Amino acid sequence: MAMKTEPFVVNIGPQHPSTHGVFRMKLTLDGERIIDVDMILGYLHRSMEKLAEERTYTQNIPFTDRADYLAAMTGNLAYCLAAEKLAGVEVPERAQWLRVIMSELQRIASHALAIGTFINDCGAWHTPLMYMLREREKVLDLFEMACGARLTVNYMRIGGVAFDVPDGFVPACRALVKEMPDRIAEYEGLLLENEILVARARGVGILPADMAIAYSISGPMLRGSGVAWDLRKADPYAVYDQVDFDIPVGTNGDSYDRFLVRMEEMRQSVRILEQGLDALPGGPVNVDIPVALMPPPGETYARIESPRGELGFYVVSDGGPAPFRFHIRAASYINLSALREMTVGLTVADAIVVLGSVDIVMGEVDR
Amino acid sequence: MDDSGSVVAFWTLAALTVGSALMVVAVRNLVHAVVYLILSFVGVAGIFVLLSADFLAVAQVLIYAGAIPVLIIFAIMLTPRAARDNAETSLGLPALPLVGALLATIISIAVVTDWPEATRGGFEETTSVIGEALLSTYVLPFEIASVLLLAAMLGAIILVRED
Amino acid sequence: MPFDWLRAGPPLAEWWDLRDLGNAVGGLLGWIDDRGGPSWLPYVVSGLIGIVGILLWSVFSQLFFVWAERRLVARIQVRLGPNRAGPLGLLQPVADALKVLTKEMITPRNADRLLFWASPILVMVPALVVFAVLPFGERMVLADLNVGVLFVIAIGSINTIVVFMAGWSSSNKFSLLGAMRTVAMLISYELVQVLALLAVVVFTNSMRMGAIVGWQDDFNTWIVFVQPLALLAYIFAGAVEINRTPTDIAEAESEIVAGYHTEYGGIRWGMFQLAEYVAGFAIAAIVVTMYLGGWTLWGLEEWVPGWLIFLGKLYGFFFVFIWMRGTLPRLRVDQLMGFAWKYLLPLLLVNVLLAGLEVLIWQENGFAAEAVLPAFAVANWALAVVLVVGWGQVLGHLRPEHRAKRPVLVKEVGAILYEPYPLRPGGSVPEA
Repeated sequence: MAMKTEPFVVNIGPQHPSTHGVFRMKLTLDGERIIDVDMILGYLHRSMEKLAEERTYTQNIPFTDRADYLAAMTGNLAYCLAAEKLAGVEVPERAQWLRVIMSELQRIASHALAIGTFINDCGAWHTPLMYMLREREKVLDLFEMACGARLTVNYMRIGGVAFDVPDGFVPACRALVKEMPDRIAEYEGLLLENEILVARARGVGILPADMAIAYSISGPMLRGSGVAWDLRKADPYAVYDQVDFDIPVGTNGDSYDRFLVRMEEMRQSVRILEQGLDALPGGPVNVDIPVALMPPPGETYARIESPRGELGFYVVSDGGPAPFRFHIRAASYINLSALREMTVGLTVADAIVVLGSVDIVMGEVDR
Repeated sequence: MDDSGSVVAFWTLAALTVGSALMVVAVRNLVHAVVYLILSFVGVAGIFVLLSADFLAVAQVLIYAGAIPVLIIFAIMLTPRAARDNAETSLGLPALPLVGALLATIISIAVVTDWPEATRGGFEETTSVIGEALLSTYVLPFEIASVLLLAAMLGAIILVRED
Repeated sequence: MPFDWLRAGPPLAEWWDLRDLGNAVGGLLGWIDDRGGPSWLPYVVSGLIGIVGILLWSVFSQLFFVWAERRLVARIQVRLGPNRAGPLGLLQPVADALKVLTKEMITPRNADRLLFWASPILVMVPALVVFAVLPFGERMVLADLNVGVLFVIAIGSINTIVVFMAGWSSSNKFSLLGAMRTVAMLISYELVQVLALLAVVVFTNSMRMGAIVGWQDDFNTWIVFVQPLALLAYIFAGAVEINRTPTDIAEAESEIVAGYHTEYGGIRWGMFQLAEYVAGFAIAAIVVTMYLGGWTLWGLEEWVPGWLIFLGKLYGFFFVFIWMRGTLPRLRVDQLMGFAWKYLLPLLLVNVLLAGLEVLIWQENGFAAEAVLPAFAVANWALAVVLVVGWGQVLGHLRPEHRAKRPVLVKEVGAILYEPYPLRPGGSVPEA
């Protein structure tokens, strides 16, 4: 004898301590089970893409800081690669290696925050987050040393990087590289086999591999679902074909595997950093380009592996100083499209955990 | 039971119990009625204390003021919103003389009967006496009550299980 | 008997003997009696002194512990904690209290006015009333009831209805969700609580708190040595009853903002927080009285005031709660209830059965306590370990496939390594 209950709609967000930005989810609940998820985006829309059509190519670089504000270096890099492809600019050797070093440092910082907030969503009152933020602070100090800013770095330029790193950078970076593996081992020891974390995240938010590919998921979400795909190996940019690293792949496609993949990627980033610091050559760090760069008409799509997935820039030039069309293929936006698949049938608490494991940045989603 | 403390306590508790019981039927909001019901139960527990029945008083609070209202609240949650009004019904007027007659009968019986008065002894330990009685003299009703509770739990689980 | 040399303290019972503040109260009552006056006056005065004493103590302890908890949790989290308001941040609770008092108390338009106003007041009641039976010292009990343990459980069960009222009267779906979750949780863990306390009562043969402490004093042992499983279960059930992490589902901030006290502002929210702290002290006091020897410390109470020992143990135990809050993540509500019904309940039933058997063997054969109790202690500790690990294995909690699996490291792209979980019939994924 089934009891007839009415489904009711619960609105989570846009202001909510755990929706990672201004994101609104309308959950239709039947008791505690979710039967439908409706995502409402756009609360952080700043019409970046339209504004970019009024500015020169170099002036658009700060926009990319603010799109994915937790991974500004990689955002800069993707855009600069697109512009360089359009304009046919060659990047010097030292700048390539510096780009790789900065990208991997940014990956460590971003994953530290992502893992910390994920466990925060599982309910551990900020303790793992505070531990992770220790490492992130060190990376942000390095960024400040290199370019003066911690978050919105504006460091890459079309044709290289903005400034050369000061003298203290390489020793500080080496010190970080030396202590990171111990730190990561410490976090893994504390977190990996925590019964409650496993109970909260195991089997929650499963995304099968075929569905992940169908939804164009990328990044740690895709690798957590068992698909071995990393743009640094599949479509190498900068000098990634000259460094040796592995890509971690999960096997079950649940939130726990995505968390494991991010943890392991931090370790691999440290490996790349070591190789990068050893191989850093001398030389110029950027190329002279005109202030108002006017690439020949054409279109291009450049993509990189940002900490959240495939970040791509589709830039169309009409020969003028400003791009004709500037589109960001945001990783979080595409990754978010699978939220409904992963969440239907779970409880509200699980939905929060799944959202935390997707690792969205609303700046990127809404642009 | 003539000392002033007991008398004051009795009349206060009686007023609390009867007053809350009256509010249960008089108030419009069903959830408020449950709250007044809890107050009434607590009053009864107080009267048990006055009669030196410590185990009964605490058991009254535990079961009646702690668990039964939760049951009633869940029942209220499952009723549709429109039926949650504790308002007047058309049965109010015919019920009044009936209840009045019942009340008059009970009061007259209480006044007329020759109640044997117990002397107030010491405050003996009631818990162990109740425990031993339940497991020796009254063991059969005890077991039947346990089986009944088991049957109720199983019934509830079967009713809600989704097949 | 060991520790006899500690008991050689002077056996004073004068009113100025601070080792038991009940002496002073007794002196005052005797003075009132000598002066004449109505016979009920000493009772009323002693009741009033007890009530005011409990209130003042709980308020001051709480002020201190608000600061202590924030600093301790901060140290666990590699940061400093409040250190601006006053030296070492000691005036932080005062600053918090001032803020809470001056905030605007908004009442939602559709809220049930009577219940919304009454809930913050009523939520303090169970937390404070339970202190009436807890002995701070030999003569420092407000009401040493013969059914003290049952009283504690009964007052705890009132908490359920009060929390539900708080969530219901807010006319907020999130609060209602939080309230329903809390009620389900509290009911499940009431049973665990009762069984854990029952194991103690089986040994001490009395539900009076004073008698329980006396038993522990007479046999020179703490009940935790004889009933470790019961203490473990009670700590967990106590944490659930007061909504602390890892079980603070009702106020899961990152999920439903603040659960049943979302809509309460200002001093109303302050009362909920105070009630949580006082309830925490109550649970700690119950644990100290029933499992950790109360105000005795193997004879030390002849020298050091018993209430200081009690408070020391209480605060030391409360530290365990603060530690759990800083370290553990939160369980989901159905996992929590599954843990109570499927795991703790059978364990505790077996525990009570064996405790009864042990006491029966002891009483029937009239063994000496010094021989029998250590044997029971060893047996019970071994049993606790066996039961916890064994039942966990039976239920599938500690199976190897639930061990952490690190991700596979590959060098080439293109492979698909996805293995779906084996689905249970019905399509659901097995729980970890």
